[in-house]
Amino acid sequence: MRKIVAIGIALLGIVALAQPAWAADPIKIGVLYPTSGSGAVFGTPAMLGHQMAVEEINAMGGMGGKTPIVSFARDTKLKPATAAAAAKELITKEGVDVLIGGVSSAVGLAISEVARREKVLYIATIPKTIQMTTSKLHPYVFRTAPNTDTEGKGIARTMGQLGAKKLCQIQFDYAYGHDLAAGIAKALPQEAPGAEIVLDLKVKLGATDYNTYIAQIMGAGCDGVVSGLWGAAFITFAQQAQPFGFFQQVKYVSGGEIASHEIASKMKGNYPDNVWSNSYELWYHEASPLHKPYQQELARRQGRPDTDGWPVLSYIGVKFVEAAVVKAGAVDTEALVAALEGLNIETPVGPRTIDAKTHQADTGEFWGPMKKTDEHEFRIMDPITYIPGD
Amino acid sequence: MLSNPTFLFLQTFNAIALGMNLFIIAAGLTLIFGVLRVINFAHGAFFMLGAYVCYAIVERADNFWLGVLGAGLALACLAWIIERGLLRRLYARDPLMQLLFTFGLVLVLGDAVKVIWGTEQYSVAYPAGLNRAVDLGIAHYPAYLLFLCGLGPLVALALWLGLERTRWGRIMRAARQDREMLALLGVNVPLVYNGVFVVGAALAGIGGALAAPRLALTPGMDTNIVIECFIIVIIGGLGSLWGSFLGALILGIVTVFGAVLVPEWEMMLTYALMLAVLLWRPWGLFGREQG
Repeated sequence: MRKIVAIGIALLGIVALAQPAWAADPIKIGVLYPTSGSGAVFGTPAMLGHQMAVEEINAMGGMGGKTPIVSFARDTKLKPATAAAAAKELITKEGVDVLIGGVSSAVGLAISEVARREKVLYIATIPKTIQMTTSKLHPYVFRTAPNTDTEGKGIARTMGQLGAKKLCQIQFDYAYGHDLAAGIAKALPQEAPGAEIVLDLKVKLGATDYNTYIAQIMGAGCDGVVSGLWGAAFITFAQQAQPFGFFQQVKYVSGGEIASHEIASKMKGNYPDNVWSNSYELWYHEASPLHKPYQQELARRQGRPDTDGWPVLSYIGVKFVEAAVVKAGAVDTEALVAALEGLNIETPVGPRTIDAKTHQADTGEFWGPMKKTDEHEFRIMDPITYIPGD
Repeated sequence: MLSNPTFLFLQTFNAIALGMNLFIIAAGLTLIFGVLRVINFAHGAFFMLGAYVCYAIVERADNFWLGVLGAGLALACLAWIIERGLLRRLYARDPLMQLLFTFGLVLVLGDAVKVIWGTEQYSVAYPAGLNRAVDLGIAHYPAYLLFLCGLGPLVALALWLGLERTRWGRIMRAARQDREMLALLGVNVPLVYNGVFVVGAALAGIGGALAAPRLALTPGMDTNIVIECFIIVIIGGLGSLWGSFLGALILGIVTVFGAVLVPEWEMMLTYALMLAVLLWRPWGLFGREQG
């Protein structure tokens, strides 16, 4: 009998030790990234950045040294319906205080809609559709990712510098592609005067046969192509376009972060010439004093010196939540919303401020051509220009 | 747009390349139906498996042609097992059973691909030697797609010769006509059925391997292709080789030029085409009226 009591007490002790008595109530964060399917190529590094930020903060005793983070991660599979269901489940079952994440604009809008109805804070770390912070804006959504207007401006400015006048456009036929096209159209007259889009192609998301579109662009005689085909789609597109001599004929300026190291390291020697694109972060570019420690820790976690570009987005998302909790001194939604409006923080890629009215951070991106190097088997961006958000 | 010669030229070749790739796959489907009278819904899954096997081999051995060969062999082995172990028991049953069985295969093979390769998107590089462009005078065109344009007619011719000019072909055609009489004449009909199913599946596997560099590999790639194959054999006439050839060519042209000229209706066009053929000639262009 005494033995059983002793064991019981020991067990209780273990339970008590596992939950530090001094800790205040934790903040529960629902994390929504695609960790399987075609979105995993970005969802997985995004998860890594999230975990890194969470562990960094919890190692210091939590947000503001007293509010530890508990994350509940769900796989969105890159599907809006799955993401919306997961967001609802996180709110009702797990009782999360904040939703964070989203890859793809369609998924972002779906999560945002749940956040609006349930009155739960949502930090969009990756989705870029302009609608999220304009026509579909509501009090509970904030975006730390750049938006399609900013990205469109980047494309237009780059094309303006390259001087191509007769442009073809190829975009995905969903929110991101439509909004990026609108962003480019808005910026083109000012950034690239005289340039005109003569052919406008819309591709189904998930298409894998681009030969028809490639032939159309080749036949149209464009000297520049603007695009937003991202991720595995660009890899497939480039592979099919190269034997046509496509990249010898046109200057290819694209959003969708195909200059990120994820794509460059995947394509290695198959990366085509004449591509100008963007990236959120570049492991070889020290944009802030915070970059070096961030990049070194990421390199340790990834087990290689050349780290991926997407973790920084999810990392910044968590850092904004932390800054808001510290500023508000609370974790309730209304207090956090008030704290986030106008909030400014330093990140590994430079300072970021969230606009009080639009809930949009002034996040820009690094732009430039992808160059071959002698020291690496993959391409790197050189020279690098930062084009800020508005 | 059609007045631009470069454009017309490139798109015509694109249409033929697509059509010929589809033909190689659809030929297997029509062969199996022609002899076994089994509508093989798993044909798309065989195609997908072929593409993935090719990818796996190219990753390890770095030889595309080995991948094509391996895909054909792998699917032949798999088909042998499926026919011997399972499908054979269903010939005498209600055709609905065969349909349910092949549909079950679609689900099983689809999940098997997800288990083995995951849901990531893969791509296979064009084979060495064919990864460049050929100058055709009017424009440059990818050598690999040109190779597909040429391979389609060769496969069609080989299959035709095999069916019309060899003893095996005669037996196959006889099995289509009257299997009981054939059995009475001392032919091992179950062996014929097995052989046809194996060849049909191998064609799907080879077609999948050949499609791998043209496309990207995703776990859902089987559904589209099986629908396209059915449209082809319905247009051409179920069981007709040259019907499939023509059907594939027509589908390639409609798909490519439909996507260019009326992009909003691209999806509907192929179905409309099938519907028109069904209304006009319910037995297909080359099929025989069954009375």
